[in-house]
Amino acid sequence: MPAISYVLAAAVLVLVLVSSFLRLLYILPAYNPTKPHPRPRGQPTRLLVILGSGGHTSEMFSLLRDLDPNLYTHRSYIVSSGDSFSASKAVDFERALETKRRHEQGTAPVPSTYDISVIPRARRIHQPLWTTPVSSLRCLVACFTLLGPPRTKIPWRSDINQHRTERLAPGTPPHTYPDLIIANGPATAVLVIAASLLLRFLKCRGTEGKMRTIYVESWARVNSLSLSGRILVACGMVDRMLVQWEDLSRKGLGDFIGALI
Amino acid sequence: MTQKICFVTIGATAAFDQLLHAVLTSQFLQTLRASGYTNLLLQYGTAGYSILKSFEAEVASGEADNHGIDISGFDFNKLGLGVEMSLVKAADDRAEGVVISHAGSGSILDAMRIDVPLIAVPNTSLLHNHQVDLAEELARQGYLVHGHLDNLSAALAESDVLRKTRQTWPPQHAGADPSGRGLAGVMDDEMGFYD
Repeated sequence: MPAISYVLAAAVLVLVLVSSFLRLLYILPAYNPTKPHPRPRGQPTRLLVILGSGGHTSEMFSLLRDLDPNLYTHRSYIVSSGDSFSASKAVDFERALETKRRHEQGTAPVPSTYDISVIPRARRIHQPLWTTPVSSLRCLVACFTLLGPPRTKIPWRSDINQHRTERLAPGTPPHTYPDLIIANGPATAVLVIAASLLLRFLKCRGTEGKMRTIYVESWARVNSLSLSGRILVACGMVDRMLVQWEDLSRKGLGDFIGALI
Repeated sequence: MTQKICFVTIGATAAFDQLLHAVLTSQFLQTLRASGYTNLLLQYGTAGYSILKSFEAEVASGEADNHGIDISGFDFNKLGLGVEMSLVKAADDRAEGVVISHAGSGSILDAMRIDVPLIAVPNTSLLHNHQVDLAEELARQGYLVHGHLDNLSAALAESDVLRKTRQTWPPQHAGADPSGRGLAGVMDDEMGFYD
């Protein structure tokens, strides 16, 4: 009798593993590239921008200099805890965006809004190694929270609340998952993108056609990818991988359409 | 007398004492003088103040020589270094000078955008240094001079040669960009916007 239950258990296990693997192949962008769902301009959209440390953040805002707030109507920024530089850069960028928008005088059908969220670091400097799995897990859990609809307050997270900038205009339903995620280097990017893939993997409600990803490798990387870039390429985790030097694209590591910074 | 400024920046993130020491050697200051420079401006970060102070003390006691170069410095400018870099540009009473910078991508980009001659000196003490790759490639393409800590005088001579032939940033499009709109085009594609 026990023998049969072992066989059954093994069979179920194999079945689960195989179907998980197939499902993974199906959702990993590099193995199964999909076309974005067509949509008209001017609808409410949500763009998720993952910011990193000083250099990455500066480069990100340089990349986004032509961003049109009438197309990307809600921007969510993710910064690592303790990184006040990135948070203040995001506020500066939004102010400039608002000024530009007012200047252009267009009658925007959708209000322009943004929020900034703080994510705990996967590992702080000098943190004991044995606690890293715990803090990484905390970071991953935070990723799911941040991918979800931007809420004005999370009762049990005072550290996030203090950085939540409440610019969600009344009357506009907060958008669901981000339509597009853009990242350019920090380790946080890998975790956030992994979390987005897991949501796609589980086919969570409201994720269909959402959370497409663009990764832009840093301009500073001339002939090799950064660690984040290498992981994302090796695992085929992003929909679009852009590099800023021709040499990298010759090596098949991403698309080169010129220096983007 | 016409001013000619050499602006040295070590950036905001890491200390780069070797670069500060290298530009304060008698040999380098002499080269500056011989190339017509009048001022040396240092952005020395949090730790560099003492290096400049001890150099000034050595000059006062006669141990070191500034070769008539006016040397001054500051720790960092939170608003960016655009103003200081622009001081290097030619004006009514000023000849075009040079920026000597650590090879961080941000500083390199700033200097190229402001369009001033640049010597990028990688900080070789940093681990896993890809700054060297960037400096090398941009030097190969004629945007800047790739300087080495042990031979800055040669780099200064090279920068004088490059002054006439320097490439301007950004480059004319090198990659195949279907939309012609760079990243904005890719983002719109991924969003599925149709016209």
